[in-house]
Amino acid sequence: MVNDGAPDVEVVARILGGDGEAFGILIRRYEPGLLRFATRMLGNPDAAADAVAESLVRAYRHLAQCRDPGRLRSWLYRITGNRCRSHLARRHTNDISLSDAPPLSDGSDAWAVLERGEQVALVERALAALPAEKREAFVLKHVEGMSYEEMAQVTGARIPTLKMRVHRAREALLAALEEVVR
Amino acid sequence: MSPLDPRLQEALDGERDPGDLPLDLRDAYTRLTVATQLLEAPPPVSVASRVMAEIRRGPPPVLNEGLARRLLHWWLGRPRAVTVRLRPVWTLALAAGLATVLLLPWSSGIPTPGVAQGIANFVGHFPGARSVEVVGSFNDWSRGVLHLNDDDGDGIWHGEAVLPAGPHEYMFVVDGERWVPDPLAGRYVDDGFGAGQQNSLLIVRPASAQP
Repeated sequence: MVNDGAPDVEVVARILGGDGEAFGILIRRYEPGLLRFATRMLGNPDAAADAVAESLVRAYRHLAQCRDPGRLRSWLYRITGNRCRSHLARRHTNDISLSDAPPLSDGSDAWAVLERGEQVALVERALAALPAEKREAFVLKHVEGMSYEEMAQVTGARIPTLKMRVHRAREALLAALEEVVR
Repeated sequence: MSPLDPRLQEALDGERDPGDLPLDLRDAYTRLTVATQLLEAPPPVSVASRVMAEIRRGPPPVLNEGLARRLLHWWLGRPRAVTVRLRPVWTLALAAGLATVLLLPWSSGIPTPGVAQGIANFVGHFPGARSVEVVGSFNDWSRGVLHLNDDDGDGIWHGEAVLPAGPHEYMFVVDGERWVPDPLAGRYVDDGFGAGQQNSLLIVRPASAQP
């Protein structure tokens, strides 16, 4: 019986040895981050839950194809990111529909006096306005706390490209937030 | 939207102490940091039970042992050409007998390509490699099933396998850790995981269709 604190490599070996229930350990370990990532990418919790569920099932079925179980987290984010991109492509746009994003508060409100829920809504809306590639780069860097090296593994993009996307995303977000508090 | 001050970008990348920023940049740093923290809470939902229910419906992703055994048996049992160096004349009869035995199949149960099967030849140039094996869709991407050989140490690794006719995706695994596509494959397909990596593609023709 493999325990919840076992390294990914050990859990993967256990699953490939026939213990499918051990996949629950990986779900508990990575589900919160994957759901958060997919929600920020798709702007819709239901669509995000679908994308993560499909990604985890796909990861399980193709686990033997994971070339480096020591980098399982990157692999799972890559599958989920791919799933999100497919979902966005089906919408015929890379951007989140504004109807999916929380409504903007009254722009006359100053940031400091906004309720936390309003602040979250404002930031989510600003994030939703970014093109998908910049949104993905920003979320992986600042919300999921990944290094640029890990982001490159997840997205397949080069590190200078990712840095540029993160920089542009920061500029756009800051501009959107300053609009609100002005 | 104006470009951010490089010092602010550096601070956000963790390359500069934000305490060293001028006041206006420090405000922007704080605003972006707070905004990020607002996004960090994971959604209060879980797909765990749904995923586990789905995967319990199918078999676990274990090595396809039947296929692995068949491939291994065939690989070990296939006829091999040998070179016999003849020295004293009196060994001629013994060497000829030995060559005859080795060139014949080990048993009548050796798999031969069926109607819907063909022979796949794998060749790769990996000078200095300690081991090269092939993993692919035909063996559930499992290691330890199909090893290539470099008997003369010239860096050219080769092997064969009987596979079902049709397309198969595969990769070479060099020294047990480096996955590389076959540079001679000619055809490649996206590995489906979204990072632009490609698997080699092999199309096996039925043995009956081969000259």
